[in-house]
Amino acid sequence: MIFEKRGNRELRSIWDWRITAVAALLLLIIGLLGISFGPINLRFDQIFKTILGLPNGLTDQERAVLIDLRLPRVLLAALVGGALATSGAVYQTVFRNPLADPYLLGAASGAGLGATIAITNAHGNLYGLLPVFAFCGAILAVLVGFFISGKFFAEPNSLLLSGIAVGSFATAVQTYLQQRHSASLRPVYSWILGELTAASWRVVTWSSIYILIALAILFAISKQLDGLMLTDEEAYSLGINPNQIRVIAVIAATLATATAVAASGLIGFVGIVVPHLVRGVSHRVTNRALSTIALVGAAFLVLADLGARTLLSPAELPIGVITAFVGAPFFLVVLRRKRMVNQ
Amino acid sequence: MIEIQDLTVRIGATEILKDLNLTIAANNWTCFVGPNGAGKTTLLKSILGSQSYAGSLKDDGVEVFNNHDRNVAFVPQHPQIPVGMSVTEYVMLGRAKRDGWGTESKESRALVVDTLKLTGLYGMQNQFITRLSGGEMQRALIARALVQQPELILLDEPTSALDLHHQIAVLNKIEILKEREVTIISTMHDITLAAMYADQIVVMKEGRILLSGASDVVVHSDQLKEAFENRINVFTLDSGRSVILPNK
Repeated sequence: MIFEKRGNRELRSIWDWRITAVAALLLLIIGLLGISFGPINLRFDQIFKTILGLPNGLTDQERAVLIDLRLPRVLLAALVGGALATSGAVYQTVFRNPLADPYLLGAASGAGLGATIAITNAHGNLYGLLPVFAFCGAILAVLVGFFISGKFFAEPNSLLLSGIAVGSFATAVQTYLQQRHSASLRPVYSWILGELTAASWRVVTWSSIYILIALAILFAISKQLDGLMLTDEEAYSLGINPNQIRVIAVIAATLATATAVAASGLIGFVGIVVPHLVRGVSHRVTNRALSTIALVGAAFLVLADLGARTLLSPAELPIGVITAFVGAPFFLVVLRRKRMVNQ
Repeated sequence: MIEIQDLTVRIGATEILKDLNLTIAANNWTCFVGPNGAGKTTLLKSILGSQSYAGSLKDDGVEVFNNHDRNVAFVPQHPQIPVGMSVTEYVMLGRAKRDGWGTESKESRALVVDTLKLTGLYGMQNQFITRLSGGEMQRALIARALVQQPELILLDEPTSALDLHHQIAVLNKIEILKEREVTIISTMHDITLAAMYADQIVVMKEGRILLSGASDVVVHSDQLKEAFENRINVFTLDSGRSVILPNK
């Protein structure tokens, strides 16, 4: 959308499935790189041999690294990236705001507060419940945002604004808790910047259930999302109930976001960078690009995680640092070009 | 035929429409005129079915609110123009209700091509809708309404953003619908144009209907002047056509 100056070319010559196929291939290659590289490098041929059960595969130690560390971590990164990018694209359509992202509804700050409560509680006995607390915080923040904005979508921006207010409040409480419990400052800080180090098959299992349900819902209604780009009256006359679609879309996108945040902390900018990049390249409105956005989001985060693991190896960078490093400049470009979109 | 009885619409604490009673004939062009804030757009939205109301508003005997079985086209005064959508895709949205969202039947494609030719948009079908001029955008909206093959079309100030040349062009396109036995309801701030094209004119002010009837009767009535606080004059040309101008 922001690269629209090239807009006069033959649109129909670009086939959606080709772009999607390229994105899937990209995810596959980057996924393989993500599995292969790290403090211990695993060779591609040995990875294949091990997975296919052929002889001359990895040693037992390497095998453990592959199965218990790399695979769940890459899978979780892909799930989280796909979830954040898809919900970002959906939020942007629902709120008719190219800068809307999964974090603007207060979901992220709510999750942050929930996690901080879990981490900073007196005896550390809530630490294991961190995902649950983050999840509850996110859902609660979005509900409060809904409640404050009153008429849900009478004016879509009111929900965004109340989301920002709720988010600021949650962040304030979170900061207060952090200062009071300065002993646990570091774990909170590292969780906030996002990390996939905690990835295990258990985390992958529960987060994949929620994320796949949410994505299935979003893909099912993705075609009607086009209608939300019109006025409500036009959408109504073309056969959809705009508010119903918005409620379903926001609930599903928030579920995906909250799960992603609970599993991996606050990883910003994926929800903005990826949708804009894909739409810019594919010249497509949201719904036709949604599957591509999900795949590219997954690939982007696997790549960012690879960077987080290897750039300062053996130390790890928080993945949020990598995504923000790429995302923040991109965000500014989008902001600058937003005028064009509004014209 | 649309029958409106004791229609009241409140938005928040404000009564936008107050106890309206009105009958609108089928296969006719009816035009709502009146000063800003008269409630014309709200009445259009009520007839569309997207606006909740008290009282009764029936289209062919069926209450319209939230009734998705009807096929009504709506042309807004200020459309939201989607980013990243081609003219073809935009016009194709008019078929979404029939084909299902995101799918295009062969008939729909043929119809869209025909309609693009009819509305003079063929040749720019692959352009982004955001790049159209005001007049082209208005024609794209009309094209989308045409492919919808509606029984009823509602137009909110279809000519307000256009110069006179494009106003006439758009109004002539709307007249195509009349030949296809579609009921047309529009708001229009230019009463001269309304009198030229519409069969029936409804004069509104402050949420009430002052007068409704055949265009030539309404144009020469005192109530029309009253609605505009006697600030307009009505002249009749030699051709019998009426021209309404503000007092100076």
